[in-house]
Amino acid sequence: MEEMFMAPVVEAIDLKKTYMLGKIPVEALRGVNLKVESGDFLSILGPSGSGKSTLLNLVGALDKPTAGKLSIDGVDVSTLNDNQLADLRLRIGFVFQFFNLIPRFTARDNVELAMSIKGINKSARTKRAQELLETVGLKDRINHKPAELSGGQQQRVAIARALANDPRFLLMDEPTGNIDSKTAREVLNLIQRINGDGVTIVMVTHDQRLALEAKRTVQMFDGVIASDLVN
Amino acid sequence: MRTSDVFSYSFSAIKLRKLRAALTTLGVVIGIAAIVALLSITQGLQTTITDQLERGLSADTLIVVPGSSALGGGEGGGFAGGGFGGSSSNAPLHINYTDEINNLSPDIITSFAVVQKAGYVQNGSGVIRIVTTITGVNFSQYANAYSTTFVAATGSIPLNPSNDEIVVGARISDPRFNGTLFVRANDEVNITWTNNTVIPFVNKTYTAHVAAVLDRIGGFGIGGPSDTGIYVPLTRAEEFFGTDEADVIIVKLRSSDAATINSTSKIITDYFGDQVSVISATAVQSLLTTIFSTISLFLGGIAAISLLVAGIGIMNIMIVSLIERTREIGILKAIGMKSRTVLYIFLTESVIIGLIGAVIGILSGWVLANGVALFLGRGGVIGSALTITPVLTVEVILGALGFGIGISVIFALYPAWRASKLKPVEALRYE
Repeated sequence: MEEMFMAPVVEAIDLKKTYMLGKIPVEALRGVNLKVESGDFLSILGPSGSGKSTLLNLVGALDKPTAGKLSIDGVDVSTLNDNQLADLRLRIGFVFQFFNLIPRFTARDNVELAMSIKGINKSARTKRAQELLETVGLKDRINHKPAELSGGQQQRVAIARALANDPRFLLMDEPTGNIDSKTAREVLNLIQRINGDGVTIVMVTHDQRLALEAKRTVQMFDGVIASDLVN
Repeated sequence: MRTSDVFSYSFSAIKLRKLRAALTTLGVVIGIAAIVALLSITQGLQTTITDQLERGLSADTLIVVPGSSALGGGEGGGFAGGGFGGSSSNAPLHINYTDEINNLSPDIITSFAVVQKAGYVQNGSGVIRIVTTITGVNFSQYANAYSTTFVAATGSIPLNPSNDEIVVGARISDPRFNGTLFVRANDEVNITWTNNTVIPFVNKTYTAHVAAVLDRIGGFGIGGPSDTGIYVPLTRAEEFFGTDEADVIIVKLRSSDAATINSTSKIITDYFGDQVSVISATAVQSLLTTIFSTISLFLGGIAAISLLVAGIGIMNIMIVSLIERTREIGILKAIGMKSRTVLYIFLTESVIIGLIGAVIGILSGWVLANGVALFLGRGGVIGSALTITPVLTVEVILGALGFGIGISVIFALYPAWRASKLKPVEALRYE
């Protein structure tokens, strides 16, 4: 199988990140080792201040490490400039806690936006946006703006947007953190279904129960990985 | 991201804040409209005046005035009416100098003297009087030199006038150009001139017969005949004013080329020991061109300041917009947008504002210019009908477009650059 020879989706070796908080250096990550293989569903669990958001920013190619090695989809992040990082982010599908949709755009336009950034032409992206919104169960909400959608529906749009450019993996930051528990269950089912279709997922959360829904849970504490268990 | 997608994204951002965008655009509109209106009026005025000049001052004519400083301060109306005269302490220009000037160069066909004084005319009823310039000339020579403007509308210009015959300008006959006639051909009028070289001043008056009313010349009547002048035979003027001094001697040349004009001018000034000034139509024209380009530059500069203010408005609004959209920029960057695309989006917004502002500005500037021209044409504030046809050249249109867009882009550079430099991690955290 081809996948056997593919580089891991994410590979971190002794990853460190130090912030300057004013003049005081803060070691947010103090040597993280992590490998995410294709098809995995990994949850990163940890209290606030544990370094999980920092790890998310690094794995999302939003930020560069201070030390250590991080490769995303086989690319060493530390050698990239801002433009190359932006290109790398096109291969990552982001899903945020607060949905982060563009309020003035309809559901379809929001999904299309991701593809238009990649330079895909209008007709192709309209067709794909349609399909994706159908996949996430929003067939009849295509022309609604975020304000006209419930939290769960907005997060589905966000998931559709994240899937738009066929990413190597989805990176989720508390994807159900801002939705009521019943809807959260539905969104989680959707996420599991997507993972079942072969999409790699990395999900950051502080919710123990949610973390256990993943195939594998990494527990972070004080800037290092405290445990790494298959559920 | 494709250019068309950048454009439609920018457009959607502008549409979101319609009032704000409209107000920002209004700044550009006002600036561009001011520039376009001022430039097209100035250009129209220049065309009008150059036109007048070409009609009034033939290119093959030199004007000799007393005094060594050409184009000095003037008294009374019109450039020819001593308008170019220098200091009065200089040697006088005698009427009979024309004989000597005629013999100075083979390039000179003829020359004739003009005597001009300020005075007023009263019609038969004597109730109304009109201030005018009394010009003493040889009618046949004057008609020959100014064959297009010294032309009778009613009556006829006598080539050998009797002593009391005069010719009056169109505005003397019809001062308001509204059909209420002050005098007609064949009327009698009283001409009054105040001799202020003696103490006490003496008012001299004589009754003259209007032989002809001139065709309307329009504008300022530069050089030759004017709508507001009256013309009396030279000999009568000498006798009436008690003088043998000419205010102007007009020299007719064989050719209007620059070499002839320059060499003849020099011969005349040399002959009179630099105590006279020689003015040519071409010199006046080039002077006017210089004056008008200075005026254009000055007015354009003032208008440009308002555009500069508009530019600062754009910058202000873009910075507000950038702060408001910090999170949006974070999202765009997180899902893979490059910094330079963010820069393009912001610059495109300013280009759209600049373009719309410039187009509306050019149109409203043109409307404004025509409105002002109409106002001036009807008498306007200066009370004299001035026919200006605003001129809008392609250069002005393109310049206004370029300037409007240019200013918008320049002032958007900083906010756009700041937007593009936002760190995605921080931008996403922004509430």
